[in-house]
Amino acid sequence: MSDILDKYKWMGPIIQKMDRDTKRVFMKNFRMRDKNFFPEGDYKADVKNLVNCMLCPNMCRFDCGTLQAAKSETISPAYKARIGYYLTIGKIDPLDPSNKEFIDLMYKCSNEESCKVWCPFEFSVVSLLETVRDDLNDKGVMPDYCKEQIKKLKETNTIEDHNIYETYKEKGIENIETDGNDDVYYYIGCESMKFPEVIKANIKILKKAGVKFSTNLEKKGCCGGPAFNIRDLKIAKELANKNKELIENTGARIVVSDCPGCIETLRNRYQKVGIEIDVKFIHIVQYIKDLIDNGKIKLEREIPDEYKKVTIHDPCLLARNLNDTESIRAILNKMPGIENIDPIYNKQFTHCCGWSGTVHWADKNIAIKEATNRINELKETGAVVFISACPECELGLAYGISEKDKEKIKIIDISELLMKVI
Amino acid sequence: MNLENFELIYKENRVKIKDKAKIRAKLGEIVGDENVSDKEIDIFAYNKDTTLITLNWTLEGKIAAQPDFIVWPETPEQISSILKLANEEKIPVIPFSEGSGVVGGAIPIYGGIILDMKKFNKILEINDKDLTVTVETGTNGMNLERYLNAKGYTGGHIPQSLYTSSVGGWIAHRAAGQFSSKYGKIEDIIMGMELVLPQGDIIKFKTIARASTGPQLDKLFIGNEGTLGIITKATLKIWPYPEKRGLISYAFPTFEDSLEATRQILRQQIYPAVIRIYDADETNRHFGHIEKAKDKVMVVFVCEGIERLVDLEETITRETCKKNNGIDCGEEPVEHWFETRFKVTETSSTPTFKIVADTIEIGFLWDKAADMYHSVIETTKKIQGVMMITAHVSHFYPNGVGFYFTFAGIPPKEKTDFEFYQEIWNCIIKTVEDAGGSFGHHHGVGINRSKWMEREWGKSFDTLKSIKKLLDPNNILNPGKIYESVWKEGGEN
Repeated sequence: MSDILDKYKWMGPIIQKMDRDTKRVFMKNFRMRDKNFFPEGDYKADVKNLVNCMLCPNMCRFDCGTLQAAKSETISPAYKARIGYYLTIGKIDPLDPSNKEFIDLMYKCSNEESCKVWCPFEFSVVSLLETVRDDLNDKGVMPDYCKEQIKKLKETNTIEDHNIYETYKEKGIENIETDGNDDVYYYIGCESMKFPEVIKANIKILKKAGVKFSTNLEKKGCCGGPAFNIRDLKIAKELANKNKELIENTGARIVVSDCPGCIETLRNRYQKVGIEIDVKFIHIVQYIKDLIDNGKIKLEREIPDEYKKVTIHDPCLLARNLNDTESIRAILNKMPGIENIDPIYNKQFTHCCGWSGTVHWADKNIAIKEATNRINELKETGAVVFISACPECELGLAYGISEKDKEKIKIIDISELLMKVI
Repeated sequence: MNLENFELIYKENRVKIKDKAKIRAKLGEIVGDENVSDKEIDIFAYNKDTTLITLNWTLEGKIAAQPDFIVWPETPEQISSILKLANEEKIPVIPFSEGSGVVGGAIPIYGGIILDMKKFNKILEINDKDLTVTVETGTNGMNLERYLNAKGYTGGHIPQSLYTSSVGGWIAHRAAGQFSSKYGKIEDIIMGMELVLPQGDIIKFKTIARASTGPQLDKLFIGNEGTLGIITKATLKIWPYPEKRGLISYAFPTFEDSLEATRQILRQQIYPAVIRIYDADETNRHFGHIEKAKDKVMVVFVCEGIERLVDLEETITRETCKKNNGIDCGEEPVEHWFETRFKVTETSSTPTFKIVADTIEIGFLWDKAADMYHSVIETTKKIQGVMMITAHVSHFYPNGVGFYFTFAGIPPKEKTDFEFYQEIWNCIIKTVEDAGGSFGHHHGVGINRSKWMEREWGKSFDTLKSIKKLLDPNNILNPGKIYESVWKEGGEN
């Protein structure tokens, strides 16, 4: 209440000048505001901010990746909030099977959080949608595509239909088991396992720098990020506790990952459910940048001609959640002869690949269109080598690229590029 | 979903579509099945625009209107076919892009087909020598401006709705941006366009700096609000991105002093890109933290362009402000304006207090501008329930100004929020008309002002109606706006 009073201090003289009847009704409306529009109830949804969002003129709409992909008001942020509010207060019954599409809308977000950059209230829409998802889960109406992910997490300990970490041998990935005295734990993401060349590059770089580290792939599982997105906090906490034990057993004080989603989950989301791990979590690009700065890695070879002209696709989680857009650029800047042409939307204004969040389960076509939009922005630079630092992005962008473009465009991780010069 | 849970506001005279399945199938044939919807979740998403009273309704679980179909065409030819079908079946077609309109222009009050232009979003060409950009009209304003900025230009059209509006919406509603003193309104910026007429003909107006080729027919379609045609492509002026910005602010003891200072600046042919005068109430609201401005009238200026020109503009602006009793408040108020101009939070809070609020912009010549301002303030204050009526002056020309009134109030017991809203709108517009001003400056007519068209236009309104009848004999393009009024009487005190 005090923040409202402070914000509307200028209204003091206006209220003073009101006639008696108007003032009486105004004061009643003021007192009854919560009862009228934010009724108490057995829900977790952030109704106040859902209302703030649904009555906003959609100030973030131009940068909402899913809206720009779907081109429909239905996907606009304020409409999502509006439906979230109505689902919460019962204007739309979440238990009525005919309202399934309204429930699905709560998952049509790529978690890119571009909205937060422009939001007059400084929140992200997904942070509101997650609170609605909490209630939907409590009511037992979690969508089937989310249940499938939870089933996979329970059965395979990963977000795949098999334990993807078990494939390391066939993919030629070296596993380094901990002796309990590591300096660094290289935390490999589930989706990173689809890009074995990236993992191999990172292992070589760490070895070359003389870092004492482990990978522990035999015991490795998902960080729980997908369960946090779906808001199945029970399974999320179970995975978090397994990871806590795994990380603490390495003795490492630094955990690096090739996946910004893993770092975001380990660093920030665990804390929100009360699980603390007393180590430093950083994305591997930041760690590699420091290794180069400290002379542990030397860039000795000339970059091959076909890799000289590049553009950076900043992963949204790395740019906006982990606030690191400089490490990739710093590494590139150390490569003689390289030309980086940033796309129009870069650094903290980067656009999503479509493969973060829950939209790629809820509506794959929107996610693919979002990926295509991003590919087109990257293509506009004229570069044919797209550099990223996130397995989800590399996965998403691959969906967005045409067969014809696949022949000439390379989407690679910064570590893969680095391997060509060290 | 049970739509009966949501009270429908505009429910009279809805179009009756006998065979919806047939129409849906035909629309699918035109645009592809994936580009047409009659699903509840989509229908519900297009039941309003950003007209502020609709936000009160949204909170209370009411819906302004309800379309029957949404289509997302991708070519002018598809639009042409949709309009031909709509003419055959006598179904309204309502163009929609970003839905940022605040006078109800995109509300489908009789139902029908919402024609969403979002897929017309390509920026086609920048011509550096001609200083033009050609763009499809569903392009979002901020995305166009960001693209231009990245290429070293500005579009010069920066409305407060920049983030939420489209190029097509700007042209359709004859919009103005906050930097209009230097770059002009959209009618000064647009140079050529392509559009689809109500019966499906596709026509083009060529891009040319100036011409003498008969009447300026293209002007008829700027501000047509989707009633005479659907604009699909436009060529707009652009400018090199300014190399310098000068930020200036002065507080004046009276509203008259501030008007006089700005009038004199323009008379000297000095055109700061931004000029904004805030009356004393708005100064206290927006610049309450500036001690020197307390209870005074704040004026902010932004001069931009090449450095030498900006320096000269700054010098003359400062001299003229001082001469008219202005107190220099430095750059901070202008920086504050830049920081907060897109921080729109009031639209989210006022409805939760059941406050009815809105803004009304009007045009006036210099001569009696101050008198008109005082008349509107005094007349509106007399309406039972009005808590606040304030103004800033947002647009400036050598010959006149655009005022921007903001009102808020609580409906008295015997009136609904909608009746109260209409009463205030009608009162302000009548006062402006009586004083000789123009009832709208840059938001357009929509639903809210249609009642006053005859008064505003006089006999020439008959000519406009004849043109509408000629181009759109079945009245299928955006009916219920401009040529007819669905609002009740009232407020003519």
